Amino acid sequence: MKLEPFNKSEALSLGVELELQLVNTHDYDLAPYAEDMLRLMAQTPLPGSVVPEMTSSMIEISTDICHSAQDVITQLSPIRDALVRNADKLNIAVVGGGTHAFQQWHERRIYDKPRFRELSELYGYLSKQFTIFGQHVHIGCPDADAALLMLHRMSRYIPHFIALSASSPFVQGQDTQFDSARLNSVFAFPLSGRAPFTLSWKEFENYFERMTRTGVVRSMKDFYWDIRPKPEFGTIEIRVFDTPLTIERAAALAGYVQSLAAWFLQEQPFEPTEDDYLVYTYNRFQACRFGLDAVYVDPASGEHMPLRDHILMTMTQLEWHSEALNATQALGQLRTSVEANRNDARWLREKQGKERLLAEVVRQASLRFRAGT
Amino acid sequence: MTNELMAFWAEWARPTAGLPIVLWSLLLAVAAAAGHLVQRYMGMPKVVGYSIVGTIVGFAGFEGALWPLQGISLYLLELGVAIVLFEAGGRLPLRWFRYNPMVLLQSILEASLTYFGVFWALHWLGIPDPVANPIALMAIVASPAVLSRVLMDTRASGPVTDRAMTLATLNTFYALALGYAQAGLIERAPQGLVQKLYPVGVVLGLSFVVGAVMALALRSALRFMSPTSENTSILLLAIIAAGAALTAHVGGSAPLAALIGGVLLKQLNPKPWAWPRQLGTAASLLTMLMFVLVSIVAAQADWSLPVASVVLTVISVRFAAKIAGVAIANPGSGASWKQALWVGCAMSPLSSIALLIASGFVTASPLLGAMITQVALPAILLMEVLGAVLATIAIHSAGESSLPWTPEVFMTAEETQR
Repeated sequence: MKLEPFNKSEALSLGVELELQLVNTHDYDLAPYAEDMLRLMAQTPLPGSVVPEMTSSMIEISTDICHSAQDVITQLSPIRDALVRNADKLNIAVVGGGTHAFQQWHERRIYDKPRFRELSELYGYLSKQFTIFGQHVHIGCPDADAALLMLHRMSRYIPHFIALSASSPFVQGQDTQFDSARLNSVFAFPLSGRAPFTLSWKEFENYFERMTRTGVVRSMKDFYWDIRPKPEFGTIEIRVFDTPLTIERAAALAGYVQSLAAWFLQEQPFEPTEDDYLVYTYNRFQACRFGLDAVYVDPASGEHMPLRDHILMTMTQLEWHSEALNATQALGQLRTSVEANRNDARWLREKQGKERLLAEVVRQASLRFRAGT
Repeated sequence: MTNELMAFWAEWARPTAGLPIVLWSLLLAVAAAAGHLVQRYMGMPKVVGYSIVGTIVGFAGFEGALWPLQGISLYLLELGVAIVLFEAGGRLPLRWFRYNPMVLLQSILEASLTYFGVFWALHWLGIPDPVANPIALMAIVASPAVLSRVLMDTRASGPVTDRAMTLATLNTFYALALGYAQAGLIERAPQGLVQKLYPVGVVLGLSFVVGAVMALALRSALRFMSPTSENTSILLLAIIAAGAALTAHVGGSAPLAALIGGVLLKQLNPKPWAWPRQLGTAASLLTMLMFVLVSIVAAQADWSLPVASVVLTVISVRFAAKIAGVAIANPGSGASWKQALWVGCAMSPLSSIALLIASGFVTASPLLGAMITQVALPAILLMEVLGAVLATIAIHSAGESSLPWTPEVFMTAEETQR
């Protein structure tokens, strides 16, 4: 099978997808309301789309093509408001976060759709354990080769994305001691991790063809890579973010990605190499485990430094680009949280420390999603 | 030698709680085993097994529970119902009705259609109005006790599950308030509207006061106790037990007080309720006892062909009225037509609450009570079992059970993984 051609898209255009949790308002466990929510959402004209996800307690919302973080929030706000309104009508709540704090995977039901049934047959219990919630950010690239270059440059910032968005410290009622435990579930899939190192679309097509010949892969959807090219959109898709607790933070993260992409395109600051990946898994682990307190190993110099400092350093490097992209406010919001050493994982842990009841933490997270603070 | 041994044994043996306790204990043991077997081999909820054992024992003439209920058996039944209704009250989301008034309309419609439908059908069959009225009131109730056990056994969750439970709790509220109040009036014929409403106000008021005290006591406890603690569960059970005894004593309705208490506590303390998972075996034993008791008592009815036809008419009209009520107000309520149908079906069970209302009427007027009993008891017995089966069918058909429908024993390895 041949890989479809890389379509044209506007460079630095943005698209955001958010996987969200549907919970009941009694004990705040996940509730299988996706079908009902989709039915109600279809009655309201909104930008973007709302689609089902693997299990029946999840939905995915997405924006249309955006041009700035401000644009993202302008599109996500009416979707969030409609979600909240319809959730009230159904007596459920919508929650952000990378995992549900105490859901039991075996209680989940696969959403009734051929692709999900197929995946469930193939992956067994992993498909139910895939009840995890991520944010995907698409970034438009000028052409196919530029997309691969962008992909491998972006890989150096995977720990930054993980630490900034981390919101999954609790899994099945336990504090995992990870800030982002969600990515551990993704790692169980055979085609997860990093994309193969190639900077030419021709070579990538060749790789894809060889993979499909093995019968293991049928489409790009079968790759669960941290960043993957999305030829039909003409974008690369970054998939390591946990869904933040608010759409405001989701938009800010998109602004950060866009500013990085602008920096890459306009200044060509470094050339990615295969050796970047020597420390990739270690950096990724550090960010998942310790969040903003992680250690970051610079792939080029091998220097060890606090990830927090490296994030702040990149934000300073990006200032000019973020200004040009109208993302100053978005980056400012992220910078403030990094300086205060706060991310959503920390917020969740603080709430649990105070309440000693994970269901109450989920309830408060649902109020935060609604209010956007 | 034998005499000496017998004398020693007579001296050594101590008087205990007595034979009735032994019989009840054995009965519960058999019911527990029957519940397990029914689920394992038939894929039906355990409550069906409890009811079958109770029915067999009741038909066999077991005298452990006499009709009309009184004393300890009445209290145990009230306590079992109170525990279920306290939890159901805590699940009654008042704010939902603000955002989705169609759900409230569904409730009012299904309860009204059920009452008037059953009343009219009985009137048409020539049953006198003072008998038809209590039976129609009992028909309103869709047992939250049976429904919650079915939901537990099928590990159900979803829109049909939640809506059926909400509507069942609401119609229980209407039936209890009206049923307890009207029982006091059965031998009097109130003239004006005020005279008719006054007893409803008294029952509601007294139950509200006790419910509020229960809610406040628990709210205070929750300020310093964790809802997940075993001690909080014990405290909750003890407060419900005291509340049930107190309400009956002052003239209110113990189940109604518990239901109101649950609603008020949820309003005072919006934090999620964690204790239903903690209540555990003690509460399960009480609810099991409740189902056995209901079927033993209900089996004491006199069965005859004319009675059977009246009972079947009541059941059919009630079934149709509930589905129609939910369906008529369904547009705009956020549910699909299919879901409305399954919600209506899931509200089929009749059980302990109907029996308590019937008991109130029988105690108030033995003469009319006998006529009420003739129809009410067989209907309750039939709908405890059949209702549980219909609710199970509804939950599975709506796709809201987490377990496959195949009985556990016949499951393939693949199904156990699903």
